[in-house]
Amino acid sequence: MSGRGPSSPRVPRAQRVIFAMGGGGFTMEPLNPLLDDFVLSLAPCARPRILFLPTASGDTAAQISAFYARYSDRACVPEHLSLFHLRDVNRPLAEIVLGQDIVYTGGGSMRNLLAIWRAHGLDQILTSAWERGVVLAGLSAGAMCWFEGGVTRSSGPATHMCGLGLLAGSLTVHADGEPDRLPVWLSAISNGTLPGGWAVDDGVGLCFRGGHLQRVVSSRPGASAQRVDAVAGELVRDRLEPELLGSGVLGGDVNVDDDVRELREVIRLRERFTQTRRYRRS
Amino acid sequence: MDKGNSPLDDYVLSLVEHRRPRVCFLPTASGDADHYVVRFYRRFSTSCQASHISLFRRDQGGQGVEDDLEAHLLAQHVIYVGGGNVVSMLGVWRAHGLDKVLQAAWHKGILLCGPSAGSLCWFRESLSAFHGAPRRVQGLGLLPYSNCVHYDAEPERRAEYHRFIGDGMSPGFAADDGAAMHFCGTELKRVVSCEERAGAYRVCAVGGEVIEERLEALDLRTDAAQALAGRPREPIAA
Repeated sequence: MSGRGPSSPRVPRAQRVIFAMGGGGFTMEPLNPLLDDFVLSLAPCARPRILFLPTASGDTAAQISAFYARYSDRACVPEHLSLFHLRDVNRPLAEIVLGQDIVYTGGGSMRNLLAIWRAHGLDQILTSAWERGVVLAGLSAGAMCWFEGGVTRSSGPATHMCGLGLLAGSLTVHADGEPDRLPVWLSAISNGTLPGGWAVDDGVGLCFRGGHLQRVVSSRPGASAQRVDAVAGELVRDRLEPELLGSGVLGGDVNVDDDVRELREVIRLRERFTQTRRYRRS
Repeated sequence: MDKGNSPLDDYVLSLVEHRRPRVCFLPTASGDADHYVVRFYRRFSTSCQASHISLFRRDQGGQGVEDDLEAHLLAQHVIYVGGGNVVSMLGVWRAHGLDKVLQAAWHKGILLCGPSAGSLCWFRESLSAFHGAPRRVQGLGLLPYSNCVHYDAEPERRAEYHRFIGDGMSPGFAADDGAAMHFCGTELKRVVSCEERAGAYRVCAVGGEVIEERLEALDLRTDAAQALAGRPREPIAA
């Protein structure tokens, strides 16, 4: 564990890490830990403290228990912070957040997420945490919030919305699972409402160090991301091919029998099929 | 809806001159907790046209009332705001423009009510509860007073409220668990209670000294209270 806290110094920009997932992780892929293990690997210590913020969902018990189901038997110290149940919290919010190695933000309503954070001053605290080297990770609403803008369905129809702006550019999520966001995003980039940015499929995560995209990783074969910019009035699209996690790069798949590997693949594909139908939120 | 508080809910319904009133529940302060929504329907769906608005599930639209919040809310007889975290709730309401809609509902004469956070929100300011040091929270300001709830729940709450009033918080009203205040316009019309000893208090500072006055309360468990029918459509803070 690191000895981080509110008095820790700021780290150079190049050491500030954000991991933004288009969908995936313990709430969407309960049987596939690849992205969540990758999140742990981003902290520079063996047993990171990881804080889950389920704010965007309204702090649902389902998200919180899925978080502990994933992380309680892994090499980390998991904890969650519910801004709807502060009755149980007796330390200042800044102390709780700044003492972490990783903050993991869940999906749900981006509009509510940012409104609640701002009402409690958590936007400032999270910015300060990022500046002090706390890894910020999240999916869906919990990923778009770090960028200048994203596309949310918080009020029903897909619409663009500003984020905290720690990272330049925009992000749209569930690019494969909820394709109705894409046209809204593309048109917002095209008319200059949103800056250029990334569209990310379920199962894909973008890892930023400083302001730069460093790695694109995936928990599922076939999933991808794209970079889109408006150049001289034209949309320029670049497909980004992710590294598939679990293929020996990370995780312990190396010594697994072929039939076990095959079973896992079937489970992953089945999950992907059902989850893209089930999760229509961000 | 809270345990043992059903006389307060009955009192609310007695104020509405409609055989089967439209009652909409806003569970925002609980994060739209499923168990709370279920509790609401158990309590109100037999006698009312009950509905609820989830500001966390608006993406699921098409089937719900979330598509046009304003139209739905302004068509209600009663808007019932659930308890929970008042700071989170007000943040979410403002993000969805619900602060404006609720103000319009009040001007239209729709009865606004609720316990705990569902009380604090109607006032100009209130004392937040249950996390760290108590703080002043700006509410919707329909009632130009301050408010403190769960007044008898812990001994420090009375002392804290007095301290804030002494430090310049607007004079206002405090309520014990089991007591509710019924306002017509901005005037306090009646205090009702459903528990022994539960009451409400007017608290203000006069010449540097904080004065607390216990208000006379109508015990809703008595026959006289049962027979009483109030005037419809005015805000109640429980």
